[in-house]
Amino acid sequence: MRHWIFSCKKISLLISESMDRKLPLYRRLGIKLHLMMCYLCRRYKKQLLFIHSILQTEKTIDEIDCASLSPEAREKIKKKLNEEKQ
Amino acid sequence: MTTGKGKEINPITWLEEYGDVLYRFARARVKDSFTAEDLVQETLLAAYRSRKKFSGRSTLRTWLIGILRHKIVDYYRKQKPEQGEENPDDFVYGMNNMFDAKEKWKVKPGDWDRDPENEYERKELMTMIHACLDEMPKKMALAYTLRELQGVSTDELCELFQTRKNNCWVILYRARMLLRRCLEINWFQGTK
Repeated sequence: MRHWIFSCKKISLLISESMDRKLPLYRRLGIKLHLMMCYLCRRYKKQLLFIHSILQTEKTIDEIDCASLSPEAREKIKKKLNEEKQ
Repeated sequence: MTTGKGKEINPITWLEEYGDVLYRFARARVKDSFTAEDLVQETLLAAYRSRKKFSGRSTLRTWLIGILRHKIVDYYRKQKPEQGEENPDDFVYGMNNMFDAKEKWKVKPGDWDRDPENEYERKELMTMIHACLDEMPKKMALAYTLRELQGVSTDELCELFQTRKNNCWVILYRARMLLRRCLEINWFQGTK
C-alpha cells in the first residue's frame, strides 16, 4: 500500500509528466488517489492546465504555417547550390 | 537513386519545391528566421552532396526533413550554454523551498481566481508569461517554448537536446514549476 501513496512533490512531477507522455496505470491511479485527498495538488494541476490552455490559444503556429523563405534567402541559397553544382 | 542514368539531379528544384516546407519546419524549432534560412541552405547542400545516399525508400520530402532534423540537433549542440547557467535553484522562483522535508507543499499553490476575461487581459497575461520565460535558464525556457508553443513532441525534444527522456521530463517539469510560481507572484498575487 505504501508505494501507492505519492508525496506532493512526486505528484507535482507526475502531473507535469502526464502532459508529456501517457503514464503507466498505477501512476495514474496514484495521482487520482492523491488528488482526492489533496486540494493543493488539485490547484496545482488546474493551474498547469490553465497555463497550457492559454498558450495553446496563443500559439504562433498560424504565423509560422504561412511563413516562407524570403526572396533574398531563396536567391542566396540558389547561388550556393549552383556553386556546389559546378 | 530513383533517377535513371544520365538524368541530372538539380537541387534548385528541391529548393523550389521544398524550400518553404523546410523553412517552416526549421522556423518552428529555432528562434529566428536567419538561423532557419541557414539551416535550409545547409540541408540542401548536404542533401546534394550525399545525393547518392537517397535510396528512394522514403520520399524526397521526408529525406530532406530527416537531414534538416540532424542539422537542427547540431545547431543546438553547438549552442550549449555555459556551465552554471542551468541550475533552476538559482532562479528567483527557485524550486529549493517549494516543498518541506516531508515533500508536502511549503509554498502553497494559491487560489487563482483571476481569469483573463477579455482580450486585453489575455494579452497582458501572455506578456507576463514571456517575461517569466525570459528570466528562466535559457535551455529550460527553450525546451518549454518548443514543447508548449510549437507543439514539438517530447521525443523530438530529447533528440534536439541530446538528453535522456527522464531528464527531458524533468526539464519541462522545472520549467512549469517556475513559470507557475512566477505567474502566481506577478499576476495572481493578492487575489487571496
